[in-house]
Amino acid sequence: MICDCCKKNEAKVQVCDVEQNAVVQQFAICNDCMTLLKRLLFDPATPLIPTSEAVKQVQDMLSSKDKSLTPVEAPGKLTVSDRQPEAVPACPSCGMTLAEFKQRGRFGCAHDYEVFASHIDPLLERIHDVTPPQHRGRLPQGEADESVTGKARELAALRNQLDDAVLAEDYERAAKLRDRIAALAGEVKSKPGKARREGP
Amino acid sequence: MKALPPFNHFPRPLGEWLKGQGPESDIVVSTRVRLARNIKAWPFTLRSSTQQREELLLAVFEALNAIGLDQSVVRLRLNEVPEVYRDVLVERHLISRELASAEGPRAVVFGRGEMLSIMINEEDHLRLQWIKSGFDVDRAFRALVKVDHALERRLPYAVSPKYGYLTACPTNVGTGIRVSVMVHLPALTLKDHVQKVFKAAEKMNHAIRGLYGEGTRAFGDFYQVSNQATLGRSEEEIVESVKAILPKILEYERRMRGQLFSDERPMVEDRIFRALATLKNARMLNVQEMMSHLSLVRLGISLGIINDISLATVNEIFILGQPSHLQREEGREMTPAERDAKRAELVRTRLAAGRN
Repeated sequence: MICDCCKKNEAKVQVCDVEQNAVVQQFAICNDCMTLLKRLLFDPATPLIPTSEAVKQVQDMLSSKDKSLTPVEAPGKLTVSDRQPEAVPACPSCGMTLAEFKQRGRFGCAHDYEVFASHIDPLLERIHDVTPPQHRGRLPQGEADESVTGKARELAALRNQLDDAVLAEDYERAAKLRDRIAALAGEVKSKPGKARREGP
Repeated sequence: MKALPPFNHFPRPLGEWLKGQGPESDIVVSTRVRLARNIKAWPFTLRSSTQQREELLLAVFEALNAIGLDQSVVRLRLNEVPEVYRDVLVERHLISRELASAEGPRAVVFGRGEMLSIMINEEDHLRLQWIKSGFDVDRAFRALVKVDHALERRLPYAVSPKYGYLTACPTNVGTGIRVSVMVHLPALTLKDHVQKVFKAAEKMNHAIRGLYGEGTRAFGDFYQVSNQATLGRSEEEIVESVKAILPKILEYERRMRGQLFSDERPMVEDRIFRALATLKNARMLNVQEMMSHLSLVRLGISLGIINDISLATVNEIFILGQPSHLQREEGREMTPAERDAKRAELVRTRLAAGRN
């Protein structure tokens, strides 16, 4: 089946909107488009939108990307791997691509180090003058103390779970987690007095 | 010009690092150690939404409260601080220019005589720094590590066994540590030998930059010497490497000072006393002028040519004469010309009062 979003690649996943336990709409999506779609559907910071709307936004993103790629962009600076973005998938967690990293010189999240490992090792060898790039300093002792409670901590834990769920492609769980985060964050936000400026 | 609300978050007029004391203080102004840290649960700042940044801020504040960094420190949400005062924080080396001009939820927490500063939602979630006056890497390192260890039990840091502490920029990954020593090299500058020092430092994997960090040119002959590599070495090895390179630079600067003093004494004395005369009499001074004259006066104090002004007074003027500090003192925004007049007045009164 061809992807309903890019209309090019083979679809690998089914995404559907459910209303009162009934499927109202269904989409077949390829892996590439799913990566982009995930960011729109599972980001607690953006309001919940129907899948159809998200698919449309991804299509817009893809078409604007196509256009921006048409003019010859500094051809001397691009390497072969840059021209074949499908060879290195985007980070499933933050959506960072190798091309964007090369342009900005900054990573989007901790997962990028694993996603782009084979590409950044030569870079790290150069920057730090060390082969192979291997950490030799200290690491945190044990796990962080879980006894500290509070909303912010709970939020951090939920976000970790959401990350895991999205990576495991467990979208049902991800959606639930996202709603819980949005609700909890709303409560935290409505108490602005808590962490304001404090005098010396 | 617009009047400014008061901004009185500094228990003392200036931070500990400007005391003009500590080892090698004739050349070394201060030693700074900083650690870059990110917290597992959130994407790096670049990919964080406003809401995520706000959540992270709250999580960090909570952790800081838990380790006792609450009543004793100043906590400022920078989106609630006017631009001019964000620049005051930059001038005091408490925050970076990047954090000052960024947008969205972000904060600085500082205390312990302004030796400790924690930036939240900079390029990395956390930038912890400790500044000591003089050449004092060990104490700055030990003090900062204590804060870091206390925090890591409350905040799960993003780490990997292979890459260590994960940072937004690959130049900081691994230990996330940067040890920077601020040195005053007027003789090497006068003798045109600074480039040689730069090249030698580079070969030993260290960088030398201007006073206000990355990409800024040297101001008043002040430079920052710091480690380049953060990965593949332990924290202690990095600390030791900076401690090993500094004496070479100090020795070189002292040798040049000696040569200037023995071979070109009239020229050196003339330049130093002309600089002092300008500072004591000028009615308008821009920042560059103030910095270059003060640099010569500082050299004069170190050489024993000037002995009625203290290093602390010179350090003080360096910071209080910066544009945003002047405006804070005056309580209103000022034009560049007004600032130049105010700066000249400040320098005159401080030099008269700072005589010992």
